[in-house]
Amino acid sequence: MVTAVEIPTGNTPALTPARRGFWRNLWRVLRRKPTRVAGAVIVALFVVMGVVGPFLYPANLPTDPGNAYAGPSGSHLLGTDFQGTDVLALLVTGSRYVLVAAVIAAACTVVVGTGIGLYAGYRRGGPDSVLMRITDFIITIPGLPLLLVLSTLWKYSNPLTMGLVLGVTGWGSVARAVRSQTLSLRERGFIEAARGLGLSTAHVVRKELLPNVAPYVAMNLLISVTVYIYLEVGLFFLGVLPFNENNWGVMISQAVQNGVTQTGQGLAYLLSPLVAILLLTLGIVLLVDAMDEVFNPRLRED
Amino acid sequence: MRNLLVRLAGHLVRALVMIWVVATFTFFLIRLMPGDPVAAQYEKLVQQGMSPDAARNATRLTYGFLPTGSGWDQYVHYLWRLLHFDFGRSTQTLGVNASAEVLTGAKWTIGLVLAGILISFALGTVLGVIAAIRRSSGVGDALTITGSLFHAIPQFVMALVLITVFTVIWPVFPTDGNVDILVDPGFNGPYVASLVSHASLPALAYALSMFGSYLLTMRSSVISVLGDDFVLAAELRGLTRTMRLRYIARNALLPLFTIFALTIGFMFGGAVFIEKAFNYPGMGITLINSIGHRDYSTMNATFLLITAAVIVANIVADLLYTAIDPRVRRGGEAVA
Repeated sequence: MVTAVEIPTGNTPALTPARRGFWRNLWRVLRRKPTRVAGAVIVALFVVMGVVGPFLYPANLPTDPGNAYAGPSGSHLLGTDFQGTDVLALLVTGSRYVLVAAVIAAACTVVVGTGIGLYAGYRRGGPDSVLMRITDFIITIPGLPLLLVLSTLWKYSNPLTMGLVLGVTGWGSVARAVRSQTLSLRERGFIEAARGLGLSTAHVVRKELLPNVAPYVAMNLLISVTVYIYLEVGLFFLGVLPFNENNWGVMISQAVQNGVTQTGQGLAYLLSPLVAILLLTLGIVLLVDAMDEVFNPRLRED
Repeated sequence: MRNLLVRLAGHLVRALVMIWVVATFTFFLIRLMPGDPVAAQYEKLVQQGMSPDAARNATRLTYGFLPTGSGWDQYVHYLWRLLHFDFGRSTQTLGVNASAEVLTGAKWTIGLVLAGILISFALGTVLGVIAAIRRSSGVGDALTITGSLFHAIPQFVMALVLITVFTVIWPVFPTDGNVDILVDPGFNGPYVASLVSHASLPALAYALSMFGSYLLTMRSSVISVLGDDFVLAAELRGLTRTMRLRYIARNALLPLFTIFALTIGFMFGGAVFIEKAFNYPGMGITLINSIGHRDYSTMNATFLLITAAVIVANIVADLLYTAIDPRVRRGGEAVA
């Protein structure tokens, strides 16, 4: 489900910039283009929104049925929904579910994918072929239809279970890419040297291999977040999950079911979560662009 | 040639195993469902006074499942039916076979997605070449970011934004469905026009959400080809810019065919969001409705067809790559 980014294998000097301080490098690369700073700021704002936002509002948002589908105004910056609830409040309180589930899923993907990829690539032989068969299987099964079918059994009732299910079905391409990178790394001199010194497998994997695949894994973590936001909000949009917690997907689904796209009334209610997803995706894409340059200086022209 | 046959055989075995695993998975999924629908139907019929044998046959006809007997018998019977492409009856549309239900949806999805794939392929490759050649300028940067962004934007966001713009704010396209029901079906002007105008926005939404991956792949492929010796040789021979671009594009297109084949394979399951947003009666809608109605036969048939298409496309992509790129063929081993 997660489309793995292209990795330049072989003689990537991945470690060199990391040694000079990852954060200082990131900052330098960010500053080069204002769009990248914008990306970082957008992502930071959404993180703050997810962490702090829900505390700013009461648990049950006030409704006002007389004032449904109001346009943006001073008291309701983004208008109101079908029962007169402030859309901005819905947007802010709904962000936590979306972000928490996506981050859990992405973390799950990266941990499982990297673990399996490193193990299979380093051990090779029997365990490798078995793990790669499983990986192929996970990659081949179409993710969204699988999640839809699973929704008949599983209720994804809270962000934790949602994140776990997404993560468990989506680690395949990360595992495959990490494995192929490990395969090429293990033939390089420093790994051979480490083995020649008699260092344990655990040491080689954790201290020698992991740092070299880490940049790639970090980028995939960010990209996975966008993919999982896409999928989880999409599942709610399709209306196959119960709406027991407010989130962006529920907002979109409700807006469509209440005929916003037919009448054009309450457009702000429909567009707010859409724009939020667009902005967050844009922010992450810009940030990934910056990280790409930190980790792969070779990608720069000339 | 022999290598190719061996590989083909290996692929087929793996594909069959995979389809078997998926079929087994759905068998257990449906059996594990809270309040087992098959048993429920059987017991209901028995309580209504039907003899156990008759109830058993009636339930079997509906679900393609045996309601009683050991788990193993039920499982073997289920696989046997699948081998005959018998998925049971749909429970939401009475008397219709689940497979017929699925094929009706598939017809609409194929048209929609093929149009979308062709548009996005053309758009993505052309923009990808530009992005690669101008990769150090603002144009290249902007194209790359646009590609990544459109690749990451959810299809339903794309679809709903298009709906908002082109049917609500500036109503030039119809909102939902596949055709105007008031028009006479058949090959006549108004009907075709209605079909096209209903399919335009969904196809556009699909194309916009797909071209990003073609753009990014084409870009990195062209960049790697640009470093090849033959490009330098062409330049030294004094070939014109257009001629060189044709050399480059032909070589750089190879990796795209793999994605192309995979996208075609994923087409049945790939437009779920768009079909839902536009209420377009394709396979995605069939799947969602069958889940909403707990119509397990149709759900099973749809899911198996979507998965089988992906598996077949994987094989085709691999073989296609061998066929069009002689460099891969020589060793008999896939390099890509």
